[in-house]
Amino acid sequence: MGFGIALTPFNIVMAIAGVMVGMLIGALPGVGPPSGVAMLLPLTFGMDPTSGIIMLAALYAGTMYGGTITSVLINTPGESASVVTCLDGYQMALQGRAGPALGIAAFGSFIAGTIGVVLLMLVSPLLAKWALSFGPPETFALMCVGLTTVTLLTGEDALKGYISMVLGLMLAMVGYDIISGDARFGFGIPEMMDGIDFLPVAIGLFGLGEVLHDAEQVGKPPVPKGKYGLRDVMPSAADWARSKWAIARGTVLGFAVGMLPGAGPTVASFLSYTVEKKVSAHPEQFGKGAIEGVAGPESANNAAATAAMVPMLTLGIPGSATTAIMLGGLMMWGLRPGPMLFEKNPQFVWGLIASQYIANVMLLILSTAFIPLFVRALRIPYGILMPLIITFCITGAYSLKNSVWDVGQMLAFGVVGYAMKKLGFSPAALVLALVLGPHAERALRQSLIISDAGVGIFFTRPISAVLMALALLAIAVPLLRLLRKAARAG
Amino acid sequence: MGKADRITAALLLAFSAAFSAGALKYYTWWGDSGPGSAFLPFWLGLVMGTLGLGLLFRRPVEAADWMPSREGARRVLVVLGVTVAFVVLMQVIGMIVGVALFLAVLMRYLERQPWWLTIVISAVAAGANWLVFEHWLHVPLPQGIFWTF
Repeated sequence: MGFGIALTPFNIVMAIAGVMVGMLIGALPGVGPPSGVAMLLPLTFGMDPTSGIIMLAALYAGTMYGGTITSVLINTPGESASVVTCLDGYQMALQGRAGPALGIAAFGSFIAGTIGVVLLMLVSPLLAKWALSFGPPETFALMCVGLTTVTLLTGEDALKGYISMVLGLMLAMVGYDIISGDARFGFGIPEMMDGIDFLPVAIGLFGLGEVLHDAEQVGKPPVPKGKYGLRDVMPSAADWARSKWAIARGTVLGFAVGMLPGAGPTVASFLSYTVEKKVSAHPEQFGKGAIEGVAGPESANNAAATAAMVPMLTLGIPGSATTAIMLGGLMMWGLRPGPMLFEKNPQFVWGLIASQYIANVMLLILSTAFIPLFVRALRIPYGILMPLIITFCITGAYSLKNSVWDVGQMLAFGVVGYAMKKLGFSPAALVLALVLGPHAERALRQSLIISDAGVGIFFTRPISAVLMALALLAIAVPLLRLLRKAARAG
Repeated sequence: MGKADRITAALLLAFSAAFSAGALKYYTWWGDSGPGSAFLPFWLGLVMGTLGLGLLFRRPVEAADWMPSREGARRVLVVLGVTVAFVVLMQVIGMIVGVALFLAVLMRYLERQPWWLTIVISAVAAGANWLVFEHWLHVPLPQGIFWTF
């Protein structure tokens, strides 16, 4: 059924456009998947939700690969999931082997992405069916798991991660309260009564914030010379022999990690690199241009990006900043992600899943065919790119609701994002909390109504108890680490 | 980093105190059947306060270069200033003319790109903006006094 929807000419064009734009965005330094999806979300509002999400999903896949291009060529990861690709990818580029590095990443991504979609198709309906039995306490516990694990894993500094997350929850409190109708923290400003819309916030934090951060520096490293034609990016038989198990392991690992709420592609790629180095017969080559060090993580991050759709679609819990923004998009289209989505909007879900197959094929074709083009895009001076990205943030924020208020909000959060990046806070945790906040609050209050104000309800129901334990564990880990450090110091 | 963290912590403490107090003062703590609209905001303020105290009193984690260089700070302020000016003036000069002017100012003044390139890119970007947002997506962009489309 899904293919009938995804294969309409318009949706195919959307998938191609998404992959193309995504690769370009991913290849531009300073614009990663979350900012790309945030900036392009307004463009999809004129379409029907299925076409819109197909384009966004294709875009997500494209940005993942685009980030690889910059990692290999200029040692600058376009997004966090391709940080490890720099280690061996750039070394390969310096040895004149940028072509095979990009090629094996493209094939690895394709294989991992395709297998990922099959797994997505098999796992999601089961998980959705299971999640149908969830009541408010389970939903709230699940939100707690999502929020705490994301916070733990996205930042290096756990305390600052939690501060970012709670700040996001506080911002989510602004606006009409769904149960009592109180207009909270509106200060009499009509625009504030509707609450703080996460999209201008996301465009500001990720788009403008990153641009401001990068605007500090003048110039950037040059692209290493080399050949980037179609024949030059084909990995050799020896490359394949070294990479095939790395790709297989990366796919399985990536999917498993990506499904956990909060872990996502970045963690998957790091884990895969560690695994490859451990199992390798010649670990000393890692960091000096080992092709497995590119193939494994690149497969893992694509499998994880696909797997991140599982919790988003079935539980309504995004696995990463990018899926958080996509989730917000679904809500704007009036869809309610969660177990009911599979029953109420099957054409949407299956259309999306089928389009993922197509996006992966497109990604393989486009990435091998257009690498020379993207190499050229990297040569555009940042002095020209930077103002262009800002104008895109401004028109994007404006076109959400045709309001200058949103532009102002975007601008304000651009400054906040810049400061957060400078001071080591986590914009991703903030956005995630802002998206989940209202749902978490509703689930919490409904639970407390059911239990007649007893907190025990979260710990006596088995599923909710397990989830709560996980969330508490996520909070306890950094605390324990801190205590141990203090004990050693004292 | 230590100083920056302490200032941030102080700001967070003040903010969370105001947030919790404001919630208790203006909204209902407990409704007819369950927690009211002040319930979660109050707790969030409390949690944030605790985290803020943690940030204030812990041993600061040293990060090398959080402070921008003089030149870096100048560049960020210029970009930010021009962007704010653009947004403030958007209703007067219109989005399309505004985009062209904005690009021209930043590329020429800050980035010292050659004139011909500045003009070509500003014109193309403004045109593309019109085509995508105004023409295809029918977004009513601010028109401004110079030019109505």
